[in-house]
Amino acid sequence: MGQKILPNRTGILRSNTRMGKNDHALIRAVLSGDKNAYGALVARHGESMFQVAYRITESEADAEEIVQETFLRGYRSLAEFNGRADFRTWIYRIAVNCALKVLNRRNSEAAVPIAEEFDDERPAIQLADKGAGPERLLLDREIEVRRQVAMEKMTPDERLAFVLRHLEGRSIEEIAAALEITPNSAKQAVFRAVQKMRRSLAPLWVKS
Amino acid sequence: MKHLTDEQLIEHYLGECSNRVVVETHLRICGRCEQIYEEISNAMEVRTPKPAARERGYGEQVWQSIQGELLPYPPKPKRSYFSWPRLALAGACLLGIAAAFIGGSRWERLRTHPSQAANPAQERQRVVLVILDDHLDRSERLLVQLNHAGGERGELDDSLQAEARQLLPDNRLYRQSISAGGDPIMTAALDHLERVLLEIANTPEKLSSADIARIEQEMNTDSLLFQIRVLRARTSRREPTVDSRLKGASI
Repeated sequence: MGQKILPNRTGILRSNTRMGKNDHALIRAVLSGDKNAYGALVARHGESMFQVAYRITESEADAEEIVQETFLRGYRSLAEFNGRADFRTWIYRIAVNCALKVLNRRNSEAAVPIAEEFDDERPAIQLADKGAGPERLLLDREIEVRRQVAMEKMTPDERLAFVLRHLEGRSIEEIAAALEITPNSAKQAVFRAVQKMRRSLAPLWVKS
Repeated sequence: MKHLTDEQLIEHYLGECSNRVVVETHLRICGRCEQIYEEISNAMEVRTPKPAARERGYGEQVWQSIQGELLPYPPKPKRSYFSWPRLALAGACLLGIAAAFIGGSRWERLRTHPSQAANPAQERQRVVLVILDDHLDRSERLLVQLNHAGGERGELDDSLQAEARQLLPDNRLYRQSISAGGDPIMTAALDHLERVLLEIANTPEKLSSADIARIEQEMNTDSLLFQIRVLRARTSRREPTVDSRLKGASI
């Protein structure tokens, strides 16, 4: 506990002792004044928080920003962390809140009009089968465009509820807690999001 | 036919539907609902594109980028178990416990044996009275036997003499002790008893009824028997008084 581990030349904590410690031991070390112990927590959970942030925002830059903001806020509120809770769940909720903030900001700025057509700047489609022909590639691109349009039509709450329920597999109660709304409101948000997605993509299924 | 709502279909897709069998049965017979369900399923199958894989040690890079903004938490003051205030408190507690123990044990002793603690002489007297009562009891029985034996003929068995010889030295000690304690009535009675015991014990041959009659007459044993009964009653009265006080005090 009292053992101080200095960062190596790159400043990265690589001590086996530290890495072997559980989250609660690291939190105790941080609260006792060992700031670097928090580095082990960030190293341990950083990537999974990035994945969550990316699924919500679909933007690497935003996800990077959310991860940093999440761990900064986490550090500053660490004294309020309940020792009986799971650190991952706790930091996950902070990440979701940060993502919601980013979505709200993006929504209010509304600098970019909702694109109905394909935009080359958007992320590459992952659905495309390498061996597929040009028609399939075209269809996949259109699916992605319509999916993005549907996502952008969702309100921040709907988008977050959709991602947490559908992609992250979270329960309605967890979503309600993360969004600070009632479970029924969370359920309705999921329904509305799915409807938007269905309506956006429905024409394609008829075509195909 | 009543169609399923979109919410029911979405719930069914998400596995949250409470009446799964009803929905599945309806989907088999209703083309419209089946189509909507298929659209929902297709829409939900479309996945978010994955981000470019993070390079190894991504979390550590994040840490490097934020650590400059973080101030370390102030270290918690270490708990010292041997600080002066703690030691003083512990010492005071120990003293308190010791004082309570000693005081309690003394108080208990006083409470349980007030007569012993207050006056050892009284306790000694109580023992003397118990022994003296026993002695007077045996003497009284001997005198009663002597009176009864006075009416018989011939020689008597030597049990009376043996008893008198046993009582004689004890009686002498009691008489001397009581005399020193300043009880003239008891001293006189024991003196009288001693002479009777001496006469019985020192008869050269076996005690006959004639000897007994003589002793009774010369030594007035009837009067002595009465005196001893009175004294026994007195010692018996005094003894329970002491006992009851002790019993009462020990409760």
